[in-house]
Amino acid sequence: MPLSRRELLSAAALPWAPNRPKIAAIITEYRKHSHGQHIVDRFLEGYGWDGEHHHPAMDLVSLYVDQRPNGDLTPDRAGRFPGMKVYSTIAEALTGGTSKLAVDGVMLVGEHGRYDRNEKGQTKYPRYEFFKEIVKVFNASNRVVPIFNDKHLSWNWDWAKEMYDTSRRMKFPLMAGSSLPVTWRTPSLEFPTGARVEEAMCVCYGGVDSYDFHGLETIQGMVERRKGGESGVEWVQAYRGDEFWAAYKEKVWPTELVEAALCRSHTLVPAREGFNNIFPTVDDMKRIVKNPVAYRYKHSDGLMSTMILMSGLIRDFNFSARLTGQRDLFSTQMYLPMPDGRTTLANFFSPLVYNAELMYLTGKETYPLERTLLTTGLTAAGVESLHLGQKRFSTPHLNFRYQAAKESTFWRS
Amino acid sequence: MKRIAIVTTIYKYLSHAQHMADRFLVGYPHEGRWHKPDMQIVSLYVDQKPAGDQSQSRATEFGFKVYPTIAETLRCGTDKLAVDAVIIIGEHGDYPKNELGQVLYPRHEFFRQCVEVFDKDGRAVPVYNDKHLSYSFEKAKWMLDQGKRLKFPVLAGSSLPVTWRLPDIEIPLGSQIDEALMVGVGGSDLMDYHALEAMQCMIERRKGGETGVKSVQLLEGEAAWNAPYSKELLIAALSRSDTPKGFTEKDGRTQNLVASGELRKLVPQPAAYLIEHNDGLKTTLLMLNGAVQDYTFAAKVRGKGTMSTQFLLTPVPNVTYSACLVSKIEEMISTGRAPYPAARTLIVSGMLESCLQSKAKGNQTLATPHLGVRYNAPTQSQHARR
Repeated sequence: MPLSRRELLSAAALPWAPNRPKIAAIITEYRKHSHGQHIVDRFLEGYGWDGEHHHPAMDLVSLYVDQRPNGDLTPDRAGRFPGMKVYSTIAEALTGGTSKLAVDGVMLVGEHGRYDRNEKGQTKYPRYEFFKEIVKVFNASNRVVPIFNDKHLSWNWDWAKEMYDTSRRMKFPLMAGSSLPVTWRTPSLEFPTGARVEEAMCVCYGGVDSYDFHGLETIQGMVERRKGGESGVEWVQAYRGDEFWAAYKEKVWPTELVEAALCRSHTLVPAREGFNNIFPTVDDMKRIVKNPVAYRYKHSDGLMSTMILMSGLIRDFNFSARLTGQRDLFSTQMYLPMPDGRTTLANFFSPLVYNAELMYLTGKETYPLERTLLTTGLTAAGVESLHLGQKRFSTPHLNFRYQAAKESTFWRS
Repeated sequence: MKRIAIVTTIYKYLSHAQHMADRFLVGYPHEGRWHKPDMQIVSLYVDQKPAGDQSQSRATEFGFKVYPTIAETLRCGTDKLAVDAVIIIGEHGDYPKNELGQVLYPRHEFFRQCVEVFDKDGRAVPVYNDKHLSYSFEKAKWMLDQGKRLKFPVLAGSSLPVTWRLPDIEIPLGSQIDEALMVGVGGSDLMDYHALEAMQCMIERRKGGETGVKSVQLLEGEAAWNAPYSKELLIAALSRSDTPKGFTEKDGRTQNLVASGELRKLVPQPAAYLIEHNDGLKTTLLMLNGAVQDYTFAAKVRGKGTMSTQFLLTPVPNVTYSACLVSKIEEMISTGRAPYPAARTLIVSGMLESCLQSKAKGNQTLATPHLGVRYNAPTQSQHARR
């Protein structure tokens, strides 16, 4: 019988275990509440997991930090964790200053830091550039190791596709994506495997080329479990501002799904003074949400999905769907303990790091890279549609199939 | 349509009365829908009208009346009981504290006046009492005794037992529990009550059900750290926290507050509420102001190992956990049956009072023969999970 994940991790944690994997972290910056901090700290300090303070059964031995702004925590962490060496290039971080790859896994965190924006509003985080540097070392060393890439693969679709293709061609495990598919859910529900689904939606908050990606991953982590698996996406149409409200009025997307999603929110801004929790009318929403955005897209099997950003109205990620043959709508919230005053820890990074650990230990991706390849493309397509004046944008490049992981990978323990 | 009377201390923005009674007026989120109860508030009594009072504006907008006495509120100005349920919300408002530091909210007094109407009018209706029944166990017990005497259902308590859990766990009914520990924060006797009731809703599921409390002791300072609770359970509970302070606030890092020793530095005035039950179970509430801001629980359960969770208190102003509670009140009003026993709240009211007496008596262990409250947990889970 194969070892359970828990057994596997505890076996790997035994002091006599022959191979405690060595991990290199390649990050843009290490500041309080940057993704680099959330992720690298969990390897160094451990984190609350499964009812204990869990220390990953591996050593984060090297670190590359691209930018050192005010508040840089690199010196503090390097001082307190002397087992982690800081290197000035990605190649050195991977080789430990030798000529050969000297780690067993790479954590790539290209989020936060000062990077240019392009004319479409995309921040040009150097994930692809970092990835290329890593692969260069793989090639020179004739050895590959698993890479975890935080968030989408790249702002640039062609580069994202190249990252995907490279990992498949060179046969190394590559995982990527958001915390949304793996965080807590309230209620703690999984999308029923093999269900037929007609419409799916995420109502969330945040900006374009930023939280839109998280909303898309929220949807995709659910609908990929439908009958036949993911079939690919044919087109994306973005709406914003007045066009958003016109589409809302015309019911371009099912408003009952918006309502179901909002009924899962814990952060619904009261539409009336003196009330603490009251459901908004559409007029209330128009007043409260200054810059709404929707990406509506058609999957090849006919499923329609809609990702809606309603900043100002809510501060959480809520999923809803209409399943064929079900009288009631399916809905849940992907709950993020958010250190914006609500919590002090962004503990949704814990299940993300845990899944990365599993990959480093087993060499197996716990959920499909194709999910994030698709959401990377959807994010770029949404941005493109907005850039083209809210025109429907055909996505033949996103017309690819994949299957969901059999096991649930969201946070339940 | 069922008619409801609200009897409350104050009705202003973010008071318990506002966020609970309003849900009957404007609906609330429930199982993925905006649910509007098929019942109406017909009358309201408010004991105090501070600045920001909303009682009259709500009455005008939603078509009910504010009455000057509780009896008139229950009779809606007629000479007979004219409602189908009473919701007593005796929380917030300006009331004195006693020598134990308990706020003397007039819940028992409100309840007594309701019972007088039931007695005189020869009919009794379901009563929900928000939070603990009374600062006094004797008064609390009298309240539940009236429910038995006049055969009306009573529901009471906190929203912690019914809110979301992270993770969504339930201790299997009939489990052998070897030890339980709760971590809470906030003032006494407001927040320690919530924490004790959260722990109670978990441990009442043990083999044999609740058997009553044999003794209690409240320890403070160094004695609280040295109290005989399992450090492993403390680590387990804190591993469920999303709100550690200290270095986490400074630079975002995760922390094992117990192993690092930071816990002691962060909590200048720890308090340990030690409860020994008649069946031998020992449980501890640690109030750790300064360390965290959330409510977490851990227990050693035979055959399951350590089980732990966080009782999720969702953010202000929505406080959607109170919607979870209102759905239970609504259930009692429509079915005439309390979904979980008010005996839970009775025993928690009593253990809190006795703990505060222990504190007042130099942290002595106090025998609590009067707390022989026996009851069984509901067979169905009652917390938010759908």
